[in-house]
Amino acid sequence: MSTFVEPLPSRLAVLVEDLRKLPAFLRRDFLVALSYRTAFISDALGLFFGAFIFYFVGLMVDPTKIPTYGDTRATYMEFVAIGLALGVFLQIGLGRVAAVMNREQLMGTLESLVVTPTATATIQIGSVVYDLIYIPIRTALFLLAIDVGFGLHFQADGILPAAVMLLFFIPFVWGLGLAAAGAMLTFRRGAGAFGLGIGFLTLGSGAYFPLELLPGWVQDVSVVNPITVAIEGMRETLIGGVGWSGVATDLLVLAPLSLFSLVAGVFIFRLAQWRERRQGTLGLY
Amino acid sequence: MLSSSAGRLALSGSAAPGPGVDQREALAERADSRAPVVEVRSVLRRFGRTIALNDVSLDLAAGEIHALLGPNGAGKTTLLRILTGLVHPNAGTARVMGFDAVASPRALRQRLGLVPSGDRSFYLRISGLENLVFFARLYGMRRRAAVARSNEVLEEVGLLEAARTRVGLYSHGMQKRLAVARALLPHPAVLVLDEPTHDLDPRAARAIRELVRELASCGAAAIWATQRIEEIRGFADTVTLLHRGEVRFNGGVPDLLAHSIPRRYLLRVRNGSFSGRPAEAALNTALAGVGTIADAGESSEHYLLQLQHGVILGDALKRLTEATFQILTCSEERSELEEAFLALTPEGSQ
Repeated sequence: MSTFVEPLPSRLAVLVEDLRKLPAFLRRDFLVALSYRTAFISDALGLFFGAFIFYFVGLMVDPTKIPTYGDTRATYMEFVAIGLALGVFLQIGLGRVAAVMNREQLMGTLESLVVTPTATATIQIGSVVYDLIYIPIRTALFLLAIDVGFGLHFQADGILPAAVMLLFFIPFVWGLGLAAAGAMLTFRRGAGAFGLGIGFLTLGSGAYFPLELLPGWVQDVSVVNPITVAIEGMRETLIGGVGWSGVATDLLVLAPLSLFSLVAGVFIFRLAQWRERRQGTLGLY
Repeated sequence: MLSSSAGRLALSGSAAPGPGVDQREALAERADSRAPVVEVRSVLRRFGRTIALNDVSLDLAAGEIHALLGPNGAGKTTLLRILTGLVHPNAGTARVMGFDAVASPRALRQRLGLVPSGDRSFYLRISGLENLVFFARLYGMRRRAAVARSNEVLEEVGLLEAARTRVGLYSHGMQKRLAVARALLPHPAVLVLDEPTHDLDPRAARAIRELVRELASCGAAAIWATQRIEEIRGFADTVTLLHRGEVRFNGGVPDLLAHSIPRRYLLRVRNGSFSGRPAEAALNTALAGVGTIADAGESSEHYLLQLQHGVILGDALKRLTEATFQILTCSEERSELEEAFLALTPEGSQ
């Protein structure tokens, strides 16, 4: 037996090898997405219908109830567009990350993936690479289209700080998605409870209504609600044009929350995976 | 396009597309040694209170085709899943090329190709080629090498013409061949095939067996899980018969046959010189010492012949013809392998 044994590669070599596999996932998911052209178009149309609804809702909203960012009093449409964009970003991002393993389970491809010499973490990351690129682009395009289409006045110099804010927000979404994926691996249909939690966080984030209109205890929670922090930070910079100094605090608050979410998500997912291997049910749905 | 490709495999019959040059060279190196490439030692696996595998051991040398035989629920798939590192054993070890399935799953998987039992193990919206390129890259190949290798294995399984067709449009047989192609991507030292022919027509099944046989002749070891016992005759070198998680038999196919109960044949017999139905007693008298015969109940001319141990069919038929009976037809009522299978896996046994 010993004559066959070859030296194992170092951890670094394994990491580099696995990183090289990520473009393969990107290509796979791009080709799959390309094969669903109708879904792509209807997705974009759905977004704009949503924007239209909020546009007409905005006509009924008293402008004095909308907060001021920098020295600028936002219109309801400007206010809600950012909330809507980030809310959709959260929903889609979370849904995709959480459903990656579940999707592979349902398609019957999970077993074929995990018997390749690829770390499960690489499979998890690789399977969301496409979404991590596509969803921010989609969000940016959505905001741009709304800006032009509805005559909004987003600050051009706020785009970069807003993009960084979005970047800091991604690990939070990813961590939640991993935790949800772990729940789905374990309970098969465990995403419901997560959806409820995220719904509550989004509702209490001030994405669609000014925080001042919400109950006091929801406002208290919102201080450490990463969704609120990200949305408010983006409003400050895109509507108020406060620049880097205005969002620095938000970034400092968001960073540890995002990091915690990611670490907790990884832990929960690995725990679920370990349990599945022990029980021998990985790959089953 | 698809039908012509399918036809190609069907027609290839005895000349199934075989392993490429690289594959042959890579495997030939391994074939030199007779050391086991797969080593399973005293594996125990429980699922709750159910013992799926109990003290299962087997060895597999390079170039050997090992049939993992057993009825539904015998533990075949569990053993394969342990071997691929998908399930951890509660006790015992499983090694491939010296790499432990629990401690070094990555190194092990680099040397192993799996053909899963399920039909759906591909991305149906993209082509067969794109699917293979994707999996090839997961085996660490760069894109150009992955494309080249994917085309190579597609040719080996006779799917090159359907390479750019969406997998969703493939037939079951084509998807199974694609699964074999995927298993070949890393030039595996060990092929693990979980009931690879259960939904294939006989020609396609034969083509897959021939492909595996050819790979084995180049040095790859293959574990072929099946419950179709006729499949292993003339194909597998060795057999492990699992029943309710325990090894009931481990050895060569001829040794398995030794476990068969006396064989039975369905004969259609007529009186040679006399008209009318042969008397059962007269037939038994003619067969004295070699076997017994009884009315099969199908028609007046059908009888069931049961041979005694060590007696060959020819001797019994000779006795009957010498006694002036006319043998019109003779067919095996149940195969020897099936008899052995049933003898070793009795219903209700624990």
